[in-house]
Amino acid sequence: MASSLFCAVCLVCIDFLHKTMYLIDSCEYMTMDYNIAERQNFCFLRKEQGEQKRMKMVKAEDLTYEYVRILETDHGTKEEKVAALKQVNIEINKGEFVAVLGHNGSGKSTFAKHINALLQPTGGTLWVEDMDTKNEELIWDIRQTAGMIFQNPDNQLVATIVEEDIAFGPENMGVEPSEIRKRVDEALATVRMTEYATHAPSKLSGGQKQRIAIAGVLAMHPECIVLDEPTAMLDPVGRREVLQTIERLNREEGITMILITHYMDEAVRADRVFVIDDGDLVMQGTPKEIFSQVDKIKEYGLDVPQVTEVAHLLRQEGIMLPEDILTIEEMVGAICQYKSTI
Amino acid sequence: MSIQINHLTHIYNPGTTFEKVALDDVTLEIKKGEFIGLIGHTGSGKSTLIQHLNGTISPTSGEILLDGENIHKDKTKLRDVRRHIGLAFQYPEYQLFEMTVYKDVAFGPTNLKLAPKQIHENVVQALETVGISEEIYQKSPFELSGGQKRRVAIAGVLAMNPEVLILDEPTAGLDPRGRDEILEAIRQLHEKRGITVILVSHSMEDIAKLVDRIVVMHHGKAAMQGTPKEIFSHVEELEQMGLAAPQVSYVFAELKKRGYDVPTDIYTVEEAKKVLYELIKQVKV
Repeated sequence: MASSLFCAVCLVCIDFLHKTMYLIDSCEYMTMDYNIAERQNFCFLRKEQGEQKRMKMVKAEDLTYEYVRILETDHGTKEEKVAALKQVNIEINKGEFVAVLGHNGSGKSTFAKHINALLQPTGGTLWVEDMDTKNEELIWDIRQTAGMIFQNPDNQLVATIVEEDIAFGPENMGVEPSEIRKRVDEALATVRMTEYATHAPSKLSGGQKQRIAIAGVLAMHPECIVLDEPTAMLDPVGRREVLQTIERLNREEGITMILITHYMDEAVRADRVFVIDDGDLVMQGTPKEIFSQVDKIKEYGLDVPQVTEVAHLLRQEGIMLPEDILTIEEMVGAICQYKSTI
Repeated sequence: MSIQINHLTHIYNPGTTFEKVALDDVTLEIKKGEFIGLIGHTGSGKSTLIQHLNGTISPTSGEILLDGENIHKDKTKLRDVRRHIGLAFQYPEYQLFEMTVYKDVAFGPTNLKLAPKQIHENVVQALETVGISEEIYQKSPFELSGGQKRRVAIAGVLAMNPEVLILDEPTAGLDPRGRDEILEAIRQLHEKRGITVILVSHSMEDIAKLVDRIVVMHHGKAAMQGTPKEIFSHVEELEQMGLAAPQVSYVFAELKKRGYDVPTDIYTVEEAKKVLYELIKQVKV
């Protein structure tokens, strides 16, 4: 078969193929009828090829997304081109926990949907690992690599029993039944919901539902999870549960976490923060770098944590507390220290 | 319009294995013109409570008196009750359906069979109150931003001129700007029209900014009641009930623990700044 011939060649002169991978790519799919083993072999090569970019989980290069909005006016309809993302360049490393901030309509959800290939760029490129999301043949690999969690937990649970819901993803991927069982149990244990395995999702709290949704994504063994305002509908306990789950998965399982949120107290816990405003990436840095710029953050229609704002106001009164206070502990510490130095 | 809730109990699926006591002997008085914040974690009974207030569900036992009259006594009058008590559900923008903003807001008063002139007046007034300007009236609701949509949906409730407005999580999912717009509209509404407002929210910061009195629901009971100052000084009890206080309240609780002489009933940024400023200056002298 043609495809196996290519694979044999690949192993011999991998360097050459790095350069001509795209060509092979198209040939490979033209001679379709490849079986799973060949496909895996191919995927292996594809990863090899991406070695130099390997540390990047997500890379956006001049990522642009435009769509046409139809406006109704007195003189019939009018078409208007809207750019939701304008030449955005972002790199997210493997194992990172990043937060993406921006007001409603800023383009942050549009960005999130690109990572999962729900949307395809109209300009520029977005790679997940080294997979170009424009390549439709890779769409299932991309979605398996980058899972997605949405705001409303009720919109993403499909089954009437928790464990069946979690099994839905791996079942569709054609995973062996025994392996599915293993994955479901592992995923439930990871989100600390094992005792609810046979419960009905509809009887769970919002926070529990979101953790089940996360478990459903985990069962597909993703390397990255994109969460689009996962806590917006939850109460303080639910928010804490979900956020702790996100942090633990990031630290212990090394899963890259991309959290889209309006809550600044969630964003301060990320490794890095991106701010998107009207389709432009306007700020990026550590939470301390970002939130210390109180005025700029407010300009973008965002908030800073209450303690950061208090420190900012006190600085304006001449009390020189550090500008990068983000947490309650830091605030209390700074005040105690300030007092002891006087 | 005053609301008196007497020994209200509601049990879901009574007599089955799914039996759940959602409200357990709740007694509560809400005075005319009061601004109430209703907080409690998911499943604490706050949604069940507000659904009782406009007669969406009936109590298992106990009663709700609206200006002294039991709302469930005569089922044929429930329609009037719903006219007086406007309920904006969570994510009310999902209930927008008309071709234009104006028509959507006019839907309620039209169904109340008001005179066309009255309908127009109500609609314009309601949209003004929530800060939607005239050039948006003829737009499709679906062209608007999240915050605008939500304000239009709330205007739809207002256009029926309710005397009590209940808002279930009006800021959920909005960005800080959208949130501030909604809260400002609600504040003005309360101030100008003097109507009773019941705000259900998970955001303690929102509650702290606006309300006169807080009712904390826990396990189907009204566990705590008081002014924001009283409630938010009980940081630890709130935590135990699965709730939280505004971030600055924790700073003062911690400073107190470390032996500083600070008040613990601080819950807004402005107050916190003032008190901390004095605390620091005090030492300097």
